Amino acid sequence: MTSLRSRLGIGLVASLVVMIGLLWLMVGQSVEILLEQQMASRLAHDGEALLGGMRIEADGRVLLQGRRIPGIYQQPYSGHYFQVEAGGQATRSRSLWDAMLPVPDVEVGETRIDYVTGPQQQPLLLWARGYQKQGREVRIAVAEDLLALKEGIAQFRWQLAAWSLAMVLILLLIQQYIVIRSLRPVSAAAADIERLEHGEISALPEQVPKEVRPLVQAINRLLERQRQRLQRSREALGNLAHTIKTPLTLLQQLAREKLAEADPATYEQLEHYSRQINERVNQSLRRARLAGDGLGVGRFDLKQDLPVLVDTLNRLHRERSITLRTRFNDIRQLPLEQQDGMELLGNLLDNAWKWAASTVSLTLSGPEPLTLIVEDDGPGVDAAAMQSLAQRGVRQDENLPGHGIGLSIVRNLVDEIGGEMTFSASESLGGLQVKIHLGRRA
Amino acid sequence: MRLLLAEDDPELSARLGRFLGRQGFAVDSCTDGVETEFSGRETAYDVIVLDLGLPKRPGLDVLANWRKAGVKTPVLILTARDTWQEKVQGLQQGADDYLTKPFREEELLARLQSLIRRNTQTVGEALSINDWVLDEATQSVSRQGERWELTGIEFRLLRYFMLHPGHILSKSRLTEHVYEQDADKDSNVIEVYVNRLRQKLGNEVITTKRGQGYVFGKLP
Repeated sequence: MTSLRSRLGIGLVASLVVMIGLLWLMVGQSVEILLEQQMASRLAHDGEALLGGMRIEADGRVLLQGRRIPGIYQQPYSGHYFQVEAGGQATRSRSLWDAMLPVPDVEVGETRIDYVTGPQQQPLLLWARGYQKQGREVRIAVAEDLLALKEGIAQFRWQLAAWSLAMVLILLLIQQYIVIRSLRPVSAAAADIERLEHGEISALPEQVPKEVRPLVQAINRLLERQRQRLQRSREALGNLAHTIKTPLTLLQQLAREKLAEADPATYEQLEHYSRQINERVNQSLRRARLAGDGLGVGRFDLKQDLPVLVDTLNRLHRERSITLRTRFNDIRQLPLEQQDGMELLGNLLDNAWKWAASTVSLTLSGPEPLTLIVEDDGPGVDAAAMQSLAQRGVRQDENLPGHGIGLSIVRNLVDEIGGEMTFSASESLGGLQVKIHLGRRA
Repeated sequence: MRLLLAEDDPELSARLGRFLGRQGFAVDSCTDGVETEFSGRETAYDVIVLDLGLPKRPGLDVLANWRKAGVKTPVLILTARDTWQEKVQGLQQGADDYLTKPFREEELLARLQSLIRRNTQTVGEALSINDWVLDEATQSVSRQGERWELTGIEFRLLRYFMLHPGHILSKSRLTEHVYEQDADKDSNVIEVYVNRLRQKLGNEVITTKRGQGYVFGKLP
């Protein structure tokens, strides 16, 4: 059980059930004790009254004044009984009929309260006390049926249980509400992270409760560090390119100047190898520069980044005037980091720009997987060349008939990113159609 | 054609300078960003070749500062950085073309010539004004089947005239665009070369506007 909410819920239910259960037990017990105490004191009263109304004859007989005895003691088995013992003789209430109360041997001045079984198996509370009256020892016992009281208490306990249960349920609802409310910032943070994953935001909002804030801040710091690292490594790669390419330029130019005519065979070889160095370096640099699917990196935004790219293409191909037709189908971003997307689309569109007569079209559909189709109205590519384009791992220095190294760069990028790339003839424009599926990457 | 070459590698800079000089450019070289920015701002170059990886100040900043300061000279970025991000940045900062290393000198020359032509609003491959056709490859000029070879300075001077037909060009402006920074700038030398061109091609090819300068072709 890893859900915070259910964990809290279970904890709360358990503690509530234990608490309310204990309360129920305590209240039931206390009420029973209280009622029995009350009953005992009533019995004591009746006992005192009996003592006050009795007289002992010279022969030891006990006389009770009937007026002072409540009627309830006269009905047989009414549940209210008394028994007076003096000098070996016992005087009983009429209600006892011919039964006897098990009167304990109490000394003078001693009081005892007992649970006993009376006539007809009635559970009784028995109060007994020893007295000294007219110079003789008298024991008075008064008892009352506990059944009614027990039934009353049982009923009370049931009611109490029902109320307690209702209370538990109400408290649970309240607590669930509190839990959901308190965990809302956590769910909000989770939603923010989702947006981060989709590249809609590049950092998490930090206006969150202070329990969550350190987490959010840590994530943001991490993202920032990652961005800086990416930028630093890209700068370093740029510098590396710079330090390699300048000597390479010199090497090629020197070779051309000194050897192109004097030793054409050696020149060819030198040219070949230096071109190989260049392309391998380019390929590695390009791969190293890819940001991949890191969190919090800005995505390639079609509204922001594409127009700039198209403007650049138009400037680079000033002698041609190419119109770009776009169909985005409500897609606003590529699922690629901004510079990765720039590299992919740059090479893809540059190739199309080179071959198109007047029109290039860019169609996007998706979003998952996102499909990207670039078509041109150029001469197109024949079937054999199409096949060589489609081959995986075609190296950049292997020239592709009809199309330059741009497409093999794209091929490598797509492989690196983890997508699918297919070539066909464009139905609508007649030239080459390049179709790329950018699958969702975990 | 006066050209500013900003390249931090002294070897490459020297080679390119020599090559472009042979192609009729008056080449000034800079090796760091600060110096480059200053020169580009202070001198009216016809074209600038800018390396992005300059010490002291990055080439992109130099370019941005020029454009902010209103320097409109066409700029060709010559760099080892070949990502599209960098191309986009370069061109959005105001560069006119982008060439990545390693490159062939001929490729650079072709790009520079097309940049200059684009900038002076002449179209077409060869520079051609009033039947005069300038061949940049052989540094010669022809008219109706007749052909004249030109010396380096003559070629530079005639090309500048032909790129600005009908404009009055002062001696100092001509000096600026024909000679490198360190050259001896005696404006009388221009007079000498104008006369040489007239001797070769005929008097009517360049008209003198007294006190103001010269005009290619006849005055309207």
